[in-house]
Amino acid sequence: MSRLRVHGLQVLSVLAALALWEGVARAGWVDPLFVPAPSSVGAAFRTIGGAALAALGDTLGKTAIAYVLAVILGVGAGLAVGSVRLLRDVLNPFVIALYGIPKILVLPWIVLLLGYGTAPAVFYGTVHGLFPVMVLVMGAVRDVDRTLVTVARSYGATTWQLYWKVLLPAIVPSVLAGMRLGIVFCLLGVLVVEMFAGVRGMGYVMSSLANGFRAPELFAATGLVSAASIAIVLGLDHVNERLSRWRG
Amino acid sequence: MRVVAARGALLVALLVLWEIVGRASNPLLSVPPSAVLPALRDLLLLRSYPDLPASVLLTLREIAVAYGLAVVVGLACGFALGFNRLIGSAYGPMLAALYAVPAVVWYPSLMLFFGLDAASKIAFGFLLGFFPVTLAVLAGIRQVNPHLVTVARAYGAGPLSVFGRVMVPAMLFTLVAGLRTGLALAVIGVIVGEILGSKRGMGALINHAYGLLRTADYVALVLVTLVLVVGSDVVASLAERRARKWSES
Repeated sequence: MSRLRVHGLQVLSVLAALALWEGVARAGWVDPLFVPAPSSVGAAFRTIGGAALAALGDTLGKTAIAYVLAVILGVGAGLAVGSVRLLRDVLNPFVIALYGIPKILVLPWIVLLLGYGTAPAVFYGTVHGLFPVMVLVMGAVRDVDRTLVTVARSYGATTWQLYWKVLLPAIVPSVLAGMRLGIVFCLLGVLVVEMFAGVRGMGYVMSSLANGFRAPELFAATGLVSAASIAIVLGLDHVNERLSRWRG
Repeated sequence: MRVVAARGALLVALLVLWEIVGRASNPLLSVPPSAVLPALRDLLLLRSYPDLPASVLLTLREIAVAYGLAVVVGLACGFALGFNRLIGSAYGPMLAALYAVPAVVWYPSLMLFFGLDAASKIAFGFLLGFFPVTLAVLAGIRQVNPHLVTVARAYGAGPLSVFGRVMVPAMLFTLVAGLRTGLALAVIGVIVGEILGSKRGMGALINHAYGLLRTADYVALVLVTLVLVVGSDVVASLAERRARKWSES
C-alpha cells in the first residue's frame, strides 16, 4: 500500500465531503440556519477570529493548570496507592468507581461551592484528568518486576531511593500514556464547565453561539478547538516517540 | 476479609465525615446524609418530583437508542475499515485524530441541529459510544491469527464460516470489552447532554433542583441517576461474562 495512495484518498475524501456539503447547502437542501456552507464557515472565521482566539487562550490556560495538577496528583496518588499492598486492595474499587461514574453529576455542586469562573473549571478539569493518570500508574506500579524491588532492598536502598530510582523509572511508559490520555480529559472537563456555567472561554463562546443560532460562527469555533486539541495530542505523541527512542 | 472490612470502615468514615461537615456548613450548599435520606424517600414516593418515572424512562430510552445506533454503526464502520486495507489505512488515522478531540466540542452543534429534545442527547450518546465499538472491532481484527484463516480457507471454508467460526471467536474478548465501554460512554453522553441543556429527563430534574438550591433533592436525584449508571454497567458485565463462557466452551 503506497503512502501516496493513502494520502491521496484522505485528501480526496475531505475535499469531496467539503464540495458535497457546499453543494447541498447552496442547493438549499438543508436549512442554512442549522447547516451553513463551508464557505460561510470560512467567512465566519474572520468575524469571530480575534475573540475566538482570546477565548481559546483562556480555555487552554485553564487546561494547562488543570493538566499540571492532574499529572502531579495522579502520579503521586497512583504511586502511593499502587505501591502499598493494603492501601491498593482497599482503595482500588473506590478509584475505579470514581473513574467510571459520570462526574458531570457533581458539577452542579462544584459550581455551587466554587462559583462561576476559573476555579470550578480548573478543579473539574483536574478531577477529570486525575483518574485516568492515577489508574494507569497504579496498575504500572503493581506490575513492576518484584525482583527489581527485592534486589534494590537487599543492596540497602532506602525507601526514598526505591521510589525515585526503581519504581519511577519503571513506570515512565505508563506515565506517558496517562499524560496523553489525561490532556484530552482535562480539556474536556474545562470545556464542560465553561458550557455549563462559564463566563469566558471557548465552551462559553460555543454554547452562546449555539443559543444564538449563529451556526457559521459555531462551526468555525468548533473547528478551531478541534484543531487545537488534535495539534496538542499529536505534539504529545511526537514528544513521546522521541522520549521512547531516547530510552532505547 | 480484612480488606472488605477496611473498605466498609472507610465508607462509614466518609459518611460520618460528610455528616459532620454537612451539618457545620451552609445548608444551601451541602447536605448531610441524614438530610438526603428524607429527600430520597420523598423522591421515591413521588412527592417531590411526580414526573420521576417518566424522566427515568425517557433517559433510559435515550440511552437504549443511542447505544443501539452506536453498536450497529460502530460494527459496520469497524468491519469496513478492518477488511479493506486501503480504506482502513486512509480513514483509520482520521478516525483516531477525531478521537483525540474532546467529544463535548460537538455538543453545541448537535444541540443547535437537533434541538433541546431527546434527539440531541441520542446523537451525543451515539457519538461517544460509537468510537470504542469501532476501535474494538479494528483491534479485534488485528488480533486474529492469519494462519487460522488460511488453514480454514485451505480446508474449504467459505467466507461466511471463516467469519463466524474463526474470526468472531478469536476477536470476541476485545469486541465484547469494546461493546461494554461503548455502553458506559453512551450512558455518559446522554447524561452530559441532559445536564448541559434539556427540558425533560433526569438531567432536567437535576438542573431544576440545583437551580432552585434544593440541594437535598439534587443529591437524591444524583443517587437515582447513579443507580441507572451502575445498573447498566452490571447488565453489561453479566453479558460480558456470558460471552466469555460461550467462547471458552
